[in-house]
This record gives sequence, C-alpha cells and structure tokens, in this order.
Amino acid sequence: MVTYENRQPQEDINVTQRHPLKSFAIYAVSALVLVVVLVVIMQFAGGFLAKRVPFSVETRVMDAIGIELGDADASPEMKRYLNELAARLIEHMPLPDDMSVIIHYDDEDVFNAFATLGGNLMFYKGLLSTLPHENALAMVMAHEIAHVLHRDPAVGLGGGVASMLVLAGLTGNAGTGPASSVLSSAGVLTGAQFTRRMEISADEAAVSALGGLYGHTAGADALFRAIAEQRQKSGGRGIEDGADVFERFLATHPIDADRIRAIVETSESLGIPTSGETTPLPAAFKSWL
Amino acid sequence: MIGLSQIVFFVLLLLSGFVIGSVAERRHRKSIIKRELQFNALPAIASRRPAEDRPYAQMLVTGSVVIGSDYFKTFLSGLINLFGGRVTPYESLIDRARREATLRMKEQASQLNASYVFNVKFETMRIAAGRVPALEVLAYGTALVATDQHA
Repeated sequence: MVTYENRQPQEDINVTQRHPLKSFAIYAVSALVLVVVLVVIMQFAGGFLAKRVPFSVETRVMDAIGIELGDADASPEMKRYLNELAARLIEHMPLPDDMSVIIHYDDEDVFNAFATLGGNLMFYKGLLSTLPHENALAMVMAHEIAHVLHRDPAVGLGGGVASMLVLAGLTGNAGTGPASSVLSSAGVLTGAQFTRRMEISADEAAVSALGGLYGHTAGADALFRAIAEQRQKSGGRGIEDGADVFERFLATHPIDADRIRAIVETSESLGIPTSGETTPLPAAFKSWL
Repeated sequence: MIGLSQIVFFVLLLLSGFVIGSVAERRHRKSIIKRELQFNALPAIASRRPAEDRPYAQMLVTGSVVIGSDYFKTFLSGLINLFGGRVTPYESLIDRARREATLRMKEQASQLNASYVFNVKFETMRIAAGRVPALEVLAYGTALVATDQHA
C-alpha cells in the first residue's frame, strides 16, 4: 500500500545561505564602481568631443534656439558698463580671435551669474547689488569669461548629456527599482567632481586677469565672503567654521573658504600682490540696477 | 542637488528595512517551522491520483498569502538586477510565502477533517506595482475527507 507523508524541508535548499549584508557590500560596491567609471568615461568623451566643436557652432546653436537671455528692456547703462568692463578684462585674457563674449543683464533679484553657450554671460541684479567694488565684479566676470575661454559650457553639456544617457540606460530598465535613484545620484555626484575642477581653473584664470587689469587681487574674494554671509544669515555655517568632507564632496562648486585661500595661493604663485587700492563701482551703479 | 539629509534619510530607510525585515523574517520562519511540524500529519501531495485505500469525499481547499518585501531587499535586488545572477534577497521571501500558503491550505483541510490534500498547485502573482513590491502566493488542492469515519 502507498503511504503518503510530508517531511520537514531542509532550510538551505530553496534559500541561498548567504548573509544579506555580504551581498549588499559586494553589489553596492560593484554598482558604484560601474556608475563612476561609466560617468567618468562619458564626461571625458563628451567633453573631448564637445571641445572639438568650433566656437562658431555654439553661437549658431544659440541663435537657432533663440532664447532671449536677460531682460531686453533692463537698464541699458548697466549693460553698457558690464560689456565695457568685459572688454577691459578680455585684454588680459588669452581669448582667441573667433571667440567673443556678450554680457546680458536681468533686474531679477537672483543671486547668480553664469556663462552659457556662445559666449553669453548672464548677470542678475540680486548678485550685482551685493558687490562692494569693481574688483569683486571683475573677479566674477573674469571667472565667467574663463568658463567661455575653457569651453566649459560646451564641455559640461557634452559630458553631461553623455553621462545622463548612460545613467538612463543603466537605471531606466524596470529592474533596478529604488536603487535607480541612488545610482543616478552617484552619477550626478561623479559629474560634480568635474564641474568643481572647472570652477577651480576658472578662478585661477580670473586671478590672472585681475592681476593684469588692476595689478593686484585685493577685493577679489568679496563675492565669496558675501555668499558666506548670506548663508550665515539663513542659519548656515560661517566662513570660519570650515566645511566638512561631506559638504565638499556634495557641492558643485568649491567651498568659498577654499576659493578665498586659492585666490591668495594663485596670486602668490603668479607673483601678483594681494593687497592694493580697490576701484569703486561707477557712482551711478546703484541707480542702474 | 543632493543634500546630507537625503543621504541620512536613505541610510535610515535601508537600515530600518534591514533590521525590521530581518527580525520579521526570523519570526515568520520560526512560526512556519513550528506549524509545519504540527501539520506534517496531514500530507499535501502533488500527485493527481488520490489515495484509494478507503472512500473519500473530495473538496477544494485553498490557502493564500500576500507578503511584502522591505526596502533593503528591494534595493539590494535592484542592484543585483544590474549584473544578473541569483536574486537571493527574494528567495527567502518567496520560500516563506509558499510555505505559509501551504500551511493555510492545510489549516482549511484540517478543519474539514481531511486526511490528505492531493493535486497541490501553486500560483504566484505580483500584486503591488509600487517601488517596494508585494506578492501573492496561492496554494490549492483537493482535500480528501474520509466518508467512513469509523473505519
């Protein structure tokens, strides 16, 4: 006669006996290495190719897109002054003949200035109103012109688009679930290491231009002090408090205290004095804002 | 931009998923083994040919369970999916779900005074399409209830 019975199953047949933390360590490290390596390759490749695109293409692309930068009706005096300052700075910067810079102004209360494709620089009232003298403004402007000179907007766009494509391919498949946002963030952070390097070399080029224009770099750090003051006002750390490792790693820009120190170091290495008379902004500057 | 608070939140989510998930899993497994030892006396058999040693009434018995993953398991499985290979975090989830469904089916059979459950089958369905998945396992079979209770 047939007998039927159920026996206790062995626990390690259907369930692999491997500690989940061990699996986690192996796969998390492998995934991070994969993302970082791919993003680094893509940033280099995208940036390398973008740098080979002639500057005139950038200008044509911007014309074709037709984005209106800045407020066309905003203070013509301010635009004239900003463009005139840019022309003075460019005399001390190795801008190739085919490269030109146009400064746009917007009277919005935004604490920012940026360089974009085609040598277009954008300055906002919110930033300009905090600058105490021309040297501070010249530092920001020379920094942004240096971005154009280094082709950073194109390199950033090329590297960024290439990295995003790879990240989307990697994390866009249905299988990665909540891990995809973490992997994307890891990719973005890897990209931030590239933008920080651009900022550092733009600062160096700006210091050199300021040395050429004024003969010293006094007041060049005023913007970074203003940024730190704004942050402290809103409850953040002060400039003397020092940033921790995390903050340095997560930021797209170098920490302001580091930038102030770098201005002094670059000035010293180029033999530019760090003290001198600062040049005041034009008397009517406030009324142009 | 990624802030420190987001990283801390993510680590906490991962850590709580791991700790709470592990404790819940250990408890569930312990309870499964305990109940299996009780219910081994009521065999669940995959064979389609029912026992013929005595007259039996046949009836359908089912047991189903919905079991959810935790953040840690889901996250780790996502990472494994990048490379391929055995998705070990879900192995224990599905193993527990299958055994729990079988136990619930046997419990129903036991309430019917069944001697066996024959032709046992399983069905699995993913029921939550959200970021942390859940799955349903259904076990069903034919309970054999002896009609000559005095034999």
